[in-house]
Amino acid sequence: MAGLAGRLRKRPPKYSAAALAWKGLRGQSWPRVWRDCDLQRSYDAVVIGGGVHGLATAYYLARNHGMTNVAVLDKAYLGSGGSGRNTAIVRSNYLTPEGVAFYDRSVHLYEQMAVELNINVMFSQRGHLTLAHSDSSLRTMHWRAEVNKLGGVNSSVIGPDEIKKECPSLDTSDHPRYPIQGALYHPPGGVVRHDAVVWGYARAADHMGVEMHQKTEVTDILCEGGDGPDGKGAGGRVTGVRTNRGDISTPIVINCTAGWASLISTMAGVRLPITTHPLQAAVTEPVKMFLPTVVVSGSLHVYVSQTDRGELVFGASVDPYANYSVRGSLEFTEGLAGHVLELMPGVSRMRILRQWSGLCDMTPDYSPVMGFTPVDGFLVDVGWGTYGFKAAPVSGEQMAEAAATGRTPKLIEAFALSRFDNGELVGEKGAASVGH
Amino acid sequence: MTMSRQGVQPTEVIDRAAKLRFRWNGKRFSGFEGDTIASALAASGEQIFSRSMKYHRPRGILTADYWDPNLMVQVGDDPNVRAGHRLLESGMDVRSQNAWPSLNRDIKAANSLFGRFLTAGFYYKTFMRPQWLWPTYERVLATFAPGGKIDLDTPHAYHDKRYTHPDVVVAGAGPAGIEAALAASGEGASVLLVSHEHAVGGHLRYSSDAADQAALAELRAALDASDVEVLTDSTVTGRYEDNWLGIVQRNHPIAVERLIKARAKTLVAAPGLIERPYVFEGNDRPGVITSGAARRLANLWGVKPGERAVVFSANADGDAAAADLERVGTEIAAVIDGRTGGRISSTSGSSRAVDAVVADGASIDADLLVVAAGWTAPTSLLNMAGDRPVYDPAAARFFPSDPPSNVLATGGLAGDADLDGLRQHGAATGRLAAARAAAVRHRLQSRTARALPVDGDEPAWAPDERVPLGRDPHPELYRADTHGMVDMSEDISSKDLVAAAHEGYDSVELAKRYTTATMGPSQGKLETVNTVAAIAEARGETISQVGTTVWRPPYAPLTLGALAGRMFEPVRVSPIHPWHEANNVSIIQAGQWLRPDHYGDPAAEVRNVRENVGLIDVTPLGKLDLRGPDVPKLLSLLYVNKWMKLGVGRVRYGMMCAEDGVVLDDGVTGRLGEDHYMMSTTSSGAGGVWEWVENWLQTERPDWQVHVTPVTTAYASINVAGPKSRELMSRVCEGVDLDAEAFPYMTVREATVAGVAGCFMWRIGFTGELSFELHVPAGHGLHVWEALMDSGSDLGVGPFGLEAQRIMRLEKGHFIVGQDTDGLTLGPSTGLGSLIKLDKDDFAGKPELAWAADRSLPMVVAIQPDDPDVVPEEAAQIVRGDTNEILGRITSSRYSPTLNRSICLGQVEPDLAAGGTKVTVLLESGERIGATVIDHHAHFDPAGERLRG
Repeated sequence: MAGLAGRLRKRPPKYSAAALAWKGLRGQSWPRVWRDCDLQRSYDAVVIGGGVHGLATAYYLARNHGMTNVAVLDKAYLGSGGSGRNTAIVRSNYLTPEGVAFYDRSVHLYEQMAVELNINVMFSQRGHLTLAHSDSSLRTMHWRAEVNKLGGVNSSVIGPDEIKKECPSLDTSDHPRYPIQGALYHPPGGVVRHDAVVWGYARAADHMGVEMHQKTEVTDILCEGGDGPDGKGAGGRVTGVRTNRGDISTPIVINCTAGWASLISTMAGVRLPITTHPLQAAVTEPVKMFLPTVVVSGSLHVYVSQTDRGELVFGASVDPYANYSVRGSLEFTEGLAGHVLELMPGVSRMRILRQWSGLCDMTPDYSPVMGFTPVDGFLVDVGWGTYGFKAAPVSGEQMAEAAATGRTPKLIEAFALSRFDNGELVGEKGAASVGH
Repeated sequence: MTMSRQGVQPTEVIDRAAKLRFRWNGKRFSGFEGDTIASALAASGEQIFSRSMKYHRPRGILTADYWDPNLMVQVGDDPNVRAGHRLLESGMDVRSQNAWPSLNRDIKAANSLFGRFLTAGFYYKTFMRPQWLWPTYERVLATFAPGGKIDLDTPHAYHDKRYTHPDVVVAGAGPAGIEAALAASGEGASVLLVSHEHAVGGHLRYSSDAADQAALAELRAALDASDVEVLTDSTVTGRYEDNWLGIVQRNHPIAVERLIKARAKTLVAAPGLIERPYVFEGNDRPGVITSGAARRLANLWGVKPGERAVVFSANADGDAAAADLERVGTEIAAVIDGRTGGRISSTSGSSRAVDAVVADGASIDADLLVVAAGWTAPTSLLNMAGDRPVYDPAAARFFPSDPPSNVLATGGLAGDADLDGLRQHGAATGRLAAARAAAVRHRLQSRTARALPVDGDEPAWAPDERVPLGRDPHPELYRADTHGMVDMSEDISSKDLVAAAHEGYDSVELAKRYTTATMGPSQGKLETVNTVAAIAEARGETISQVGTTVWRPPYAPLTLGALAGRMFEPVRVSPIHPWHEANNVSIIQAGQWLRPDHYGDPAAEVRNVRENVGLIDVTPLGKLDLRGPDVPKLLSLLYVNKWMKLGVGRVRYGMMCAEDGVVLDDGVTGRLGEDHYMMSTTSSGAGGVWEWVENWLQTERPDWQVHVTPVTTAYASINVAGPKSRELMSRVCEGVDLDAEAFPYMTVREATVAGVAGCFMWRIGFTGELSFELHVPAGHGLHVWEALMDSGSDLGVGPFGLEAQRIMRLEKGHFIVGQDTDGLTLGPSTGLGSLIKLDKDDFAGKPELAWAADRSLPMVVAIQPDDPDVVPEEAAQIVRGDTNEILGRITSSRYSPTLNRSICLGQVEPDLAAGGTKVTVLLESGERIGATVIDHHAHFDPAGERLRG
C-alpha cells in the first residue's frame, strides 16, 4: 500500500525565484526531488539504466504516451555512469545528414529543457570551435559546414583571425608545432550542467508517476520462446527482469546502460557489435573566466571548456583498448596537458585537480544502435560511445515512441540494429569529437 | 584576534637573520626565511586572506598548511597558490583572490544578507524565465567563479621529467614513514622517501615535547647516514596500475614543478592524518583554527595565534596545543574537553573576528578558538589501489580495508600508538616492503632478457606478520548542536547538506554533485567526512551505511606545465630539404613532414612535367621492406587483389581494405628478389599500414615467415617524371637498360645512380607521365637530386611540388585515400572493384566486400563543371536540383593547366555514376552550377599512352 500511496501524490511545487524567496522567508524545505518507492512486482515497462538516456525515455513514455507505470532501475545512483562523467558538450555540427537532423532536434530540446522540466540545466550556448591543424582536417570542416548548412544548422568555417576574436586565449600564431589553420564554428553549441539534466528528467518523470529505483541491479532478463537457452534470443519475447531486490514482470525492457550495454543485452540473448572503452577526463582548479567558447581539437585529441565555476574541463579520445576499468592513468593527464599547452600556452600554471573516466560503448560505425531487437519487447538505446549525453533528449523522445507504439520512428530508422546485418552503416567517424 | 611574532622558539624553522621583503595586495610586508606566505602575513597581524565563494565572507587561517582552503592566493602569474604551504621568497608579489574591490571591502559580501534564499543548488531552481535573459544571468553567476587569474602571457616554462625505479617508495615522512624507509634501506632495498612538507618529521616537527624533538633529531641523523633518497616538498599524487606512481616535486632548483614517474616494487603509504574541522555556528569566523594550525604557528614560526583562547580538545593534540599557546603568551580562557562531554556551540563576533565562544552553555570572551575534534585518514593512495576503507565509529575515522599486497599502510593511516609503537610499526612495514620488493626484483630479473643474472629461487611472498597498530577511542565529533560551515571554500553549510538530503540528494555522490561540497581545492580532505556525517544524520543512518566518496588522483594538484613536460613533437624533413629551402620553396605541413608544396608557380611546374621533365621529392612515401618465403601470402591477405604469382622484378598496384571493407590504403609493391619485396604505402598511411601489417603477423599469422622493416626514412625517394625522363635517367644511371622493352612500365630494377649503388628504380608514377621512381639510400639523396638537376639542365628539368602532383594526379583521375574516399567508402566504390578477387581463400575485408559486390554503392567519379572556369570547393555538395537533398560531394577539384578547364573527382549516389549524367553542384557561396559525370576517372590521357612510353 505504501507504493500506491506513493503514486497518488499531489503536484509538487514549481521551482521559481518567487518560490525560493517564499520558502526562504518561511524557512520551509523543498519536497523530495523524486520519491523513494517500494519496488512493484509488475510494470508496463522497465528501463534499465538511470542515466540521461534512461530517464529521458521514461519521461517521454509518461509525457507523450501516457505510460506512467514505468520503473527506471539503476545499480548505483541516478547519473552515476556516463551522465555524470561526460564533459557536457552539446552540438549538432555532424557530418552525415542523418546525424545533423538527429542532433539538431536534440539541441532544440535542450534549448527548451529548463522551461519544460522546470529546472535550470544551464544550457550555455557559448559557441563551439572545432580546430583544424592540417589541410585535410580543414577540408573535412568545410564538408561538415556544407552538410550542416543544408540541414539548417548554424555552422561555418572561420580562419585564424576570427578564431582569435572568438577565443583570445588560443595560440593562433604559426608558433605551435601544428598551427591552427581554421575552425568549424558552431554558435549554438555549448555546455549543459549534466547532473541537472539527470535530476530534471527524474523529477519530471516522477511527477507523472514513473518510479526511480536506485541501488537496484538487474541480474537477468527473463524471456520465453526464443531460440536460445532459457527462452532467450531471437524469436522470443521478454517477460520480466530479475534484480537484486526481486523479480519484476514486464512486457517491455529498454536497455539504456551505455558501457554495460553489451552485458545487459546478453542477458536477453541479444549480441551487440559493441566494445566498451574507457574515456578519461580531468578538471583543473578554478580561475576567473577567460575561455569563452568550447574548443575541440581532433588532431591534438582534446576538448576543453571552462565551467561557470571557473574550472577547465578536459576530455580526450577513448583509451585504445577495451576495458571496464574506470581508473584514470597518469599518461592520460600528461598527454592532455601537452596538447592543451599547444593550444593555450598561457595556462601552464593551472593545476589539475581531479581526473576520472567513464565507459563508452563503441560501435563499428561510431553511430548508436536504437530500437527493436530480435527479442520481442527488448529494446536498446546503446552504442552511444563518446557522444551520448548530447543526444539524450531526442533519444528518449524517439525510444519512448518506439516502445509505446511498437513502430520505429523515422528519425532513428538509420540506427537500427539490423544495419549490421544488411550493411547500411552510418558513418560518423569524421564528426565524433576527437580521435576516432 | 591579532597574531604576532614572539620570541625564538626551540622548534622554529625560520632564520630570523634572513629578512625577506614581499608585497601583499600591493603593500610592503616582510617575513623570514623559512616562513610560509601565510605565516609571514600572520606574524604581521593579517587576519583575512581570502573571501569565500558564494557569500564572500572573510576567511582567515584554518589549518595553516597545504590543505587550508582559506589560504589560496595569487603569486605573480601563478594562481591558486597555497599560502599555508608555499615558502616565502624575496620580492614575491602576493595578491588575494576572489575579492573586489579589495579584500577588506568586498561588494559581494552583501550576498550574506540573502543567505536564506541562496541555499545550496538554488541556481537550479531559478533563472529559467525569461529564457532570453539566461545568458545575462549566466555571466553574473560566472563572476562568482573563485580562484586566481590566468596571465595568457605566462611562458610554458622548462619542465623536465624524471623516471625512477626504486624498490620501495614511502609516501609520507613522519616517524613511521622515516622508520619504514630506514628499515627497507637496511634490508638492501633502494628507497625513495617522499615528504609532502618542506622537511621530514611529520607531526614531530611542530611538537614542543623534548622526547619528540630528540626522536626527530635521531631519525634525521639516521636518514642522513642512510642510502635513502629523500624528496621534500614533494607529493605522491597518484598510484596507478602496478604501482606506477606520479610524484610532484615542487622544490626542484630549476623547474617550477617536476613530475617524477616511479615504478615502485612496493609502496608504503604513510601520509599521517589530516585534522578535521568541526561544524558549529560561526566555525568559519577568522579566529577559529585547528589545533594543528595553532601548534604550527607557535612552534614552527614563533607566531602567537591570538590573545585569549578557548581550546576545544578531544585528543592529546588539543591538550598539547593549549600548552604551546600558553608558552607563546596566549591566555587560555578555557579548555573544553570533548572526551568528557564538553561541547562548544558557537562563536560570536563580527564577520572578521571572534570575540566570544559559547561552550557548555556559557559565553566566554576570547579572540581565538582552537579546535581538536578528530582526524580524517587520507586514504587516497589506498583508494587508487582499489581499497575501500572502512569506518570505525569507536575511533571516529576510516581505516584501510584490504589494499593489494604491494601497498602497505603505516603510521596514523593504519592505527594509533605512542611514538615508539608508531616507529616500530613503521620499521616492520619497511622490512616487509623490502622483502616483497626483493621477490618482485627477483622475478623481473629472472624473466627479463639480458637482465643481470640472478641466483636461486624467487623468494616467497613475505607474509604480513606486523603487530597491528591499536585504535585509540575518540568521540565522534562532526557537528555540534548548531549548524555551521562544512565546506569553507564553497560556502556549504551542514544545513545545506541536510536540506539536500531531505530533497532526495541523499547519497554522498548526489549530495556532492548537488551542493558542490568537497569540490574545492582540498578535494574533500577536510570536508568529506563531515559531509558524510551530515547526510548520515539527515537519513538517520550511520557513517558506515552512507559510505564515502572515491578519492581520485591526483592527491595534490599539479600544474599542466609539469604534466606536459617538454614538448616532444618531431619534425620530419627529407635529406633533400636543404635544396628545397635554397630554391624558393613553399612548404606545406603534411602530418609530421614538412614537404615542398610548390616552388612559385604550380601550373608552370605541371606544364614542365607534361612537356619536359620534373623531379619531386616523395621521401615520405611509406616503404616497408618485406623478406621471407611467406611474403606473397601476407600480400594476398592484406591486399584485395592477387599476389601469389608476381615475378621477380615486377611491380603491382594493390588496394587494402579494413575488415569492414572500407578502403584503408593503396600503393605498389615490387618483388626485388626471390624472397624480398618492397611495399609502398601512402605518405599519410605509412605508420598505420606498418601497424596493420604487424598486427596481422603477430596476432593472426605468427607462424608465417615474414620479416618486416619500415624503411621509409632509410631511402630518399625521387620521382622523375615527364617525356624526357628516360633521357635524363640515362645520363646518371649505370648497370641498367632503360629501354622501354627491357625496363617496361610496372617493373623494378636495382641500379647505380649518380655513382650511388643500391638504388631501386620503379617504372611507376602518379602524374600520368613516363616516370621513374628512385629510392636512394638516404645519405645520398641530396647528391642524387643535385646530380639529376645538373645533368638535365638542357632538358629543362625542374622541381615540382605536391600541388603540381595533386593537379596531375587529378588530371589522371587517381583517387587519394582519405580525400576522395572516407570512413565509409567500400572497395568497389573507388571504381577499382575489378581488383577485388573474391575467389581468393581469405583476405582482410572479404566478407564485407563479398556482401558489397552485389549492391549498388556510392561511387567515386570524375566530374567536369559545365562552366570550365568555375572550380567548385573540395566540400561542395552535389544536390538534387533546387532541393537540399544531398546526392554526393566534390572530393577533389583543381583548375587543369593542361586541359585549361576545371576538373573534379567526387562521390555520388549509384544512380548518378554513369558517364554523361548531369548533376547539380552547390557551391559554398550558395550558387548552384551544372556539371557532368565523365566516362572514366582520367580527365587526361585515359588510354595511358604517355606513362607507358
